[in-house]
Amino acid sequence: MSMVRFVPVLLLAIAAALFPSSVHTIFLDTPIERQLGTVQKIFYFHVPLAWIMMLFGVVCGIAAGLQLRRHSRVAEAIAVASGEMVIVAGLAVLITGPIWGHASWGHAWTWDARQITTGLLWLVFVAYILVRRYGAAGSERLAAALAIFGAVDVPVIYYAVKIWKTTHPSTDTVGSLPSSMWTALWPALGALLATAVAIVWIRARQELTEMDLDDAWVDAEDLGAAKGEAT
Amino acid sequence: MNETNLPAANDDEYVAVEGLDTRSIECEAIFEAKAARKTASDYEHIVWAYGVLWSLFAIYGVMLWRRSQRLRADVDRLRTRIDQG
Repeated sequence: MSMVRFVPVLLLAIAAALFPSSVHTIFLDTPIERQLGTVQKIFYFHVPLAWIMMLFGVVCGIAAGLQLRRHSRVAEAIAVASGEMVIVAGLAVLITGPIWGHASWGHAWTWDARQITTGLLWLVFVAYILVRRYGAAGSERLAAALAIFGAVDVPVIYYAVKIWKTTHPSTDTVGSLPSSMWTALWPALGALLATAVAIVWIRARQELTEMDLDDAWVDAEDLGAAKGEAT
Repeated sequence: MNETNLPAANDDEYVAVEGLDTRSIECEAIFEAKAARKTASDYEHIVWAYGVLWSLFAIYGVMLWRRSQRLRADVDRLRTRIDQG
């Protein structure tokens, strides 16, 4: 158990080591993309963040479903932590994307299918967190339904560029990148993923501690009331 | 024509250089200025994008830290309550 506590610390240490080398590779070792120019370097963090957003969207949907079915506290904590990570990574994607689009396409927002589905995913998870935090008793079912709906939106985001005509490039573009660009993409993905998993881990532990504390307070109040009645 | 076989330049004219004409030099300067503007604009966009990205994670990190402080204070309050009976 004590070793498990150090997992987020280890992940953050890996991320701290990877980030400087990743930035160095992106800006000094990777060639400038011929058509898009220097601004294409936003890609090395924008795309991994989008993958992380989608990954935790699915994790949140599965965990929320499990929590609803098995009333598992661990699943609930993972769902809340993953939901918050979707919001953070999603906001980063929704801001860095339009910045890149403004430079490359001349428009920050083109209302293409991938942008709309990504915006929808972000709003769904904001709704999920709001319902989890401020919803009345019994709102867990609505929250879980929102998380599952959000998870279902993930493949829609992926296939949006295949189904509809969009300004985003097709899904094959990333696969056809030259090896020099992959060399820069892997460390950026590793660093961001390690950071995201560490943050979700820490947040999930906080959520579990908060649940245990709530129970402990209720027990303490009950004990106090019982003592009062006895005297 | 002078000794170098180039036409003599008047005061208000460019001196012709072999292999480069005025139009090519001006075109090149226009392209260079355009490329410089594009690179400057690209760097500005990159700084904004990376700045926003790091800021978001930093803000969320601070929120997590504040939450952990609050939980620690709550544990201490509970401990005091239990000790008091």
